[in-house]
Amino acid sequence: MYIELKNINKSYGDFKASDNVNLEIEKGRLVALLGPSGSGKTTILRMIAGLERPDSGEIIIDGKVVNDIPASERGIGFVFQSYALFRYMTVFDNIAFGLKVRKMNKAAIKERVTELIKLIGLEGFENRYPSQLSGGQRQRVAFARALAPNPQVLLLDEPFAAIDAKVRQELRKWLKDMIHKLGVTGIFVTHDQDEAIEVSDEIIVTNKGRVEQSGTPIDIYRNPTTAFTSAFFGVTSELKDYKAFKSFDEVDEYDRAIVRPEFVKITKKSEVQKYKSSAVEGRVETVEFRGNSIEITVSCNGSIFSARRSLDEPAVEVGETVDVFIYRIFITHGDSVKLLKNNAVREETVVI
Amino acid sequence: MSAENKQVISREGSTDIHAQTAGSKAVKYILITLSVVFLFVMLVMPLITVIYEAFRKGLVPYLEAVSDPDTISALLLTLEATVIAVVINTVFGLFAAWAISKFRFHGKKLLVTLIDLPVTVSPIIAGLIFVLTFGRQSAIYPFLESIDFMVVYAVPGIILATVFVTFPFISREILPVLEAQGTDEEEAAALMGTKGFTIFRRITLPHIKWALLYGIVLCAARAMGEFGAVSVLSGHLRGKTVTLPLQVEILFGDNKFMPAFAVSSILVVLAIVILIVRSIVEYIGKRRGEK
Ligand SMILES: Nc1ncnc2c1ncn2[C@@H]1O[C@H](COP(=O)(O)OP(=O)(O)OP(=O)(O)O)[C@@H](O)[C@H]1O
Ligand SMILES: [Mg+2]
Repeated sequence: MYIELKNINKSYGDFKASDNVNLEIEKGRLVALLGPSGSGKTTILRMIAGLERPDSGEIIIDGKVVNDIPASERGIGFVFQSYALFRYMTVFDNIAFGLKVRKMNKAAIKERVTELIKLIGLEGFENRYPSQLSGGQRQRVAFARALAPNPQVLLLDEPFAAIDAKVRQELRKWLKDMIHKLGVTGIFVTHDQDEAIEVSDEIIVTNKGRVEQSGTPIDIYRNPTTAFTSAFFGVTSELKDYKAFKSFDEVDEYDRAIVRPEFVKITKKSEVQKYKSSAVEGRVETVEFRGNSIEITVSCNGSIFSARRSLDEPAVEVGETVDVFIYRIFITHGDSVKLLKNNAVREETVVI
Repeated sequence: MSAENKQVISREGSTDIHAQTAGSKAVKYILITLSVVFLFVMLVMPLITVIYEAFRKGLVPYLEAVSDPDTISALLLTLEATVIAVVINTVFGLFAAWAISKFRFHGKKLLVTLIDLPVTVSPIIAGLIFVLTFGRQSAIYPFLESIDFMVVYAVPGIILATVFVTFPFISREILPVLEAQGTDEEEAAALMGTKGFTIFRRITLPHIKWALLYGIVLCAARAMGEFGAVSVLSGHLRGKTVTLPLQVEILFGDNKFMPAFAVSSILVVLAIVILIVRSIVEYIGKRRGEK
């Protein structure tokens, strides 16, 4: 493992920002730290960078314990959420800063900076000040500045948070390609699950200072191992009484029953429902066009939850009575989660 | 726009209030007239009087009064105290502002309050405090006497008093700028391998440069005019512990009005020089900020 955190604890006063954090990251991977606000993502990043000291535990990078190595000697690139560009320096000087510190000669600096400016597509902007750039351009300068000294590790704190949706989309792809092209190990913080799923090779889910789960995006999505992850990922709704839905095993003790839209099949009365005998009737509450699908909320057995229908299927209307069939349910109890499959379904055909 | 630049502008008064919020034309002219009249009565008239009185008996008596050895020595002492106060308070102001804005520590609020103390305490009281601390009745007096270092009724006392009353000016100017800036940029520089002082020189100093200069100007202006605390500590030993404001007082007390005004005119000239320097600093600072 290239980066390892072992039993890391960090408190601010009596608030535990990191609670026995353990994580491992392989070289060359781009990993997302995903969790709700205040869950300790930035704290983890700052400890890896050396801007914050853990109270206990070990941080290991490339086989060396780096706890006592100051930030200035760790050789880690860091992109701040606010970018933290040097506002009294031009784009060129911002990117050159880390190279000048290394006492590189002038010609080599110029060459490297020019190369990076080309990489981020900001030719002609060399002499502008950060205040004269757009958010997306600043983000790219911050990225180039962090990459200039050739760091082996790049940490990014919510790199896309301040950028509008369209540019964000482009930058995400750009970041992913760039990191893989350069062979850098990257960790980026986000609280946007779409972003985590789209950009990262691996996701680490944090909650209340703890690491809840880590794995590939698809793995975490399919097999949440904790109550928190099962409810956090995807568009989730809660069933008030899952036993009212037919053909599920009985679980004695449980806290919550959670469904995602893709667990739910909605059919009009005029359509064929394969598992008719296990379906229950529900009422359509809202119908919303979501670009590539129709999102429907139904009320059924006292619960309200979402489902999707494709655009090709006949439209349903608000107030319409429909058949509702549920393929799967996440049942949580304490910190653990269990997946219940509808017994009416023999073959596993749920497409995620 | 940078934080310090905003500050500079707001200090000047708002130049372009939005029409809807400003009220009618009549209000505008009444306010302007009032301000002008007020300024004239409070500022311009006294200044003209000073200059008029100073030159009433002609240029020769004026030059005589101004080149009086006591006056020259008072001018030199004033400049000496001012320069030392500016240097000490610049160093202290930078350290304090840096510590307050960049670190978390216990007693931070107390430190901020203490920095403001000199402006809230009456200068006379401040002077008395130093007399009690360093004078004959103090516990450390025997020690001071043994090393032959007199504070009260001596130059060190004058300097001490001047430093004390101008204490908050520089740190107060820098602090808001440093606080608005946060620590991100310094951290970014540190992560790129930069160490302590270089970070200060390359990243922090450019931010606070104009605020610092402005603070220095204010500090110098205040130091030159200081009367109260200095008066208590000085002992009025002519040619030794008398600053310009004290010299004016002495001459005035001796009913030498023309010389008193002549010496005052030196202070007026110094004040005008500082005003000009201030305007230049502001102008350049603003232009830099807009770039
Ligand atoms: N310097 C600090 N002093 C005191 N508490 C802090 C400090 N820094 C962070 N915390 C607390 O630690 C917790 C975790 O903070 P952290 O910044 O790591 O959260 P985060 O996951 O990055 O959140 P966000 O998504 O909002 O950025 C928060 O509750 C925060 O209030
Ligand atoms: Mg954060």
